[in-house]
Amino acid sequence: MKTMTKWLLATGFALACGAAWSFDFEQELKKTLKENVQQQGAAKSGNAPANVWSGLAGTSQEDEIAIGRQISGNLLGASHLVKDARLQKYVNNVGRWVASQSERPDLPWHFGVIESNDINAFAAPGGYVFVTRGLYRQLQNEAELAGVLAHEIGHVIRQHHLKILKQSQLLDLGGKLLAKQIGGNDKAQKLIGSGAEVVARSLDKNAEFEADRIGVVLSARAGYDAFALPEVLQKIGHFAKDDGSVALLFKTHPHPDDRLNKLGLAMNDRFDSVKGQSLASRYYRIKP
Amino acid sequence: MNLVKTVLVALALALMHPLWAAETGTALKADEIKAEPFRDAGTVATLSAGDKVEILKKDGGWLRVKSASGSGWVRMLSIRKGAARKGSGEAAGLLGVASGRAGTGKVVATTGVRGLNEEELKSAKFDESELKLAESYATGRPEAQKFAAQGKLAARKFDYLPDAE
Repeated sequence: MKTMTKWLLATGFALACGAAWSFDFEQELKKTLKENVQQQGAAKSGNAPANVWSGLAGTSQEDEIAIGRQISGNLLGASHLVKDARLQKYVNNVGRWVASQSERPDLPWHFGVIESNDINAFAAPGGYVFVTRGLYRQLQNEAELAGVLAHEIGHVIRQHHLKILKQSQLLDLGGKLLAKQIGGNDKAQKLIGSGAEVVARSLDKNAEFEADRIGVVLSARAGYDAFALPEVLQKIGHFAKDDGSVALLFKTHPHPDDRLNKLGLAMNDRFDSVKGQSLASRYYRIKP
Repeated sequence: MNLVKTVLVALALALMHPLWAAETGTALKADEIKAEPFRDAGTVATLSAGDKVEILKKDGGWLRVKSASGSGWVRMLSIRKGAARKGSGEAAGLLGVASGRAGTGKVVATTGVRGLNEEELKSAKFDESELKLAESYATGRPEAQKFAAQGKLAARKFDYLPDAE
């Protein structure tokens, strides 16, 4: 049990970082997973590892939430919540309304603003979404907040981070363990079917573009201005690449200009006549 | 030291003034400037990638702009706010702000405030009480619905967008 906890913790660190899709984090994650396999093997010599991995192979919603919860606890260890209860409640209200428009409305969704002047946002499996104070302060109305949260909700509902975990697993474990794991599990089978190609995709930026497209649609479904998320991207694109507050964001995401271009192609004129609310007057402003 | 202080004060002031006042933008790609904010409206002028515009107003997915080639409405997705994309060779952070590069002033002061970097994330320790606090703010679906109604937000149907490529 202790080892399991440790493993979860370690995975949590790596995933929390993976939440931002960085290559370095990916390496770290693999290393962690590898170490734990070795530890497990040494401890029980035999079947133990299969048990450890089985939770991830065909991840149940329960497991998904447990993993996300662990990641979130670690993230909050690095950056506490902004101590403003009204702010946190407001963000949960907006986030839950947007998430209710998705195909996973009944996940235990949690949203929060964390203490960092960086401009960034994070998602973890199972419905945990965090926005930094720095990003929150860039936003000017509720629709923009909804757009940012909707992008992160997109990562959650499409299980982008879980997929990274699974892929890393496949990369680092020998065929024996995999074979054991597959036993009747269609999902794992499918993953193996596309093999190395899947792995390559996990490092590309399509997940971000996809989350942008989902973000726009969920915002529109929720009654907000669909162009609020693009507007946030316009603002962020304005930062110099070497500005410290966007360093991590730019390292782990395609440049906002590229995201805008892709989003523009996907949106085309579909939303031209769609009006939505911005709700600038209701936007909760935080003290500097 | 005084200079730093001045810059910080200037930054603080800039941050309080984030709205639409004479916002500038740059064309991300070639596009037409329309007489009205509609696809079928007449074309008034054309923009080339990199052209500068002054943003006067927003209407849904359209921006009313003034450019060297003419004024009218252009798709907001064809425009990025601020000056042209910066190369990494340019002065960054406070120096950039001091030189007026920041334009609309939408730069967050990083001085004296810790960032959320990779090292920090890697060494982060699980914080149970903070997590419980975060979870205590959860909003239920009915509550969210009420909140939406208060803002006159009505749910609508939209299909997900396919990847354009």
